[in-house]
Amino acid sequence: MKIYILLFIEFFKIGILSLGGGYATIPFLYQLINDYGWYTTQQLSDMIAISILTPGPVGINMATFAGYKTIGVSGAILASISLVIPSYIIVIVISKIMIKLKDNFYIKAILDILKPTGCGLLTVVGIKFCKDYITDIYSLLLLTTLFIISYKFKKNPLYYFLIGGVSGILIHLFFPNSGI
Amino acid sequence: MKISLKDIYIEFLQIGIQLLGGGYVIIPLMKRNIIDKRKWITDRDLSEYYALSQSIPGIIAANISAFTGYKLNGAKGAAAAILGIITTPIISIIGIAIILNKLLQISFIQSIFWGASISVIILIYLSIKEIWRNSISDIFSFLIYVITIILSLSFSLSPAKIIFITLFIGMFYKIIKKQRENL
Repeated sequence: MKIYILLFIEFFKIGILSLGGGYATIPFLYQLINDYGWYTTQQLSDMIAISILTPGPVGINMATFAGYKTIGVSGAILASISLVIPSYIIVIVISKIMIKLKDNFYIKAILDILKPTGCGLLTVVGIKFCKDYITDIYSLLLLTTLFIISYKFKKNPLYYFLIGGVSGILIHLFFPNSGI
Repeated sequence: MKISLKDIYIEFLQIGIQLLGGGYVIIPLMKRNIIDKRKWITDRDLSEYYALSQSIPGIIAANISAFTGYKLNGAKGAAAAILGIITTPIISIIGIAIILNKLLQISFIQSIFWGASISVIILIYLSIKEIWRNSISDIFSFLIYVITIILSLSFSLSPAKIIFITLFIGMFYKIIKKQRENL
């Protein structure tokens, strides 16, 4: 029972504190590794990749996945519902009393602070992922290639996963000692 | 005119199935299904909901769905829309998660995921760039950004604690600044 309450609280919290779309939830999902060890860093990055490639909003996909890692199917359902309950409440309050968000000093100030904070938190996760995954010459080369490509090509995530996945297989085949 | 909960649920279920990727991707789908096909809301409604959804916490797709659902059938409509949009993730992700462990025992699948991890880093980087454009607009927001990174990397505080600290510092500054302007 305790795990259900924990799951609810953690994902409800993410629903309140993340601002700026699905990727903004990643720092919170990363924190769950430290706090509860529900999954590993490698599993988190697998979850992110699959969530981007699966139909549905990325943020909800990731929450469902993370929930599944804790207590299976019931965890998956509970996590995704807990994540959207704050949205539901906030939207109804705004629609009912028609708060003029842009004009209210306090709401504007809170958003002015939450947005750069969310951006900083995501930057830190990016740095941590680099530390975890850029460990040899192969990963460094792949990251550099993808980085250059990101300035030349479209933003469609499929391209990056295609290049990443094919590179993984090729390195595995041609450099068996790489451990990849 | 109230739209039936079943219709709302089914329409958002269909949007969820076609939705691939995050953020603005939902807009063309909403335009096709909710505006052009069903004529439930107007273009102006949609752009208003999108703007609002970006400036409140939560998953943007869930926020837009809730705003639209609320307009169509009040609080119940909002619930039907949200449930519709999260049905696809729940089913597809559970399905994938069940077979994933078996797949990961195959060595070349592991190699694909090794490459995908590096791709994830680039996608996070692209997302940071996009959020940066909407959030870092002056010295104040840049300082909040820097403080967040320092707090996180040097003290390894949790995101929730960091948000409370930056909110505290930021609100302190904003309120003082406002009082000075009023003098």
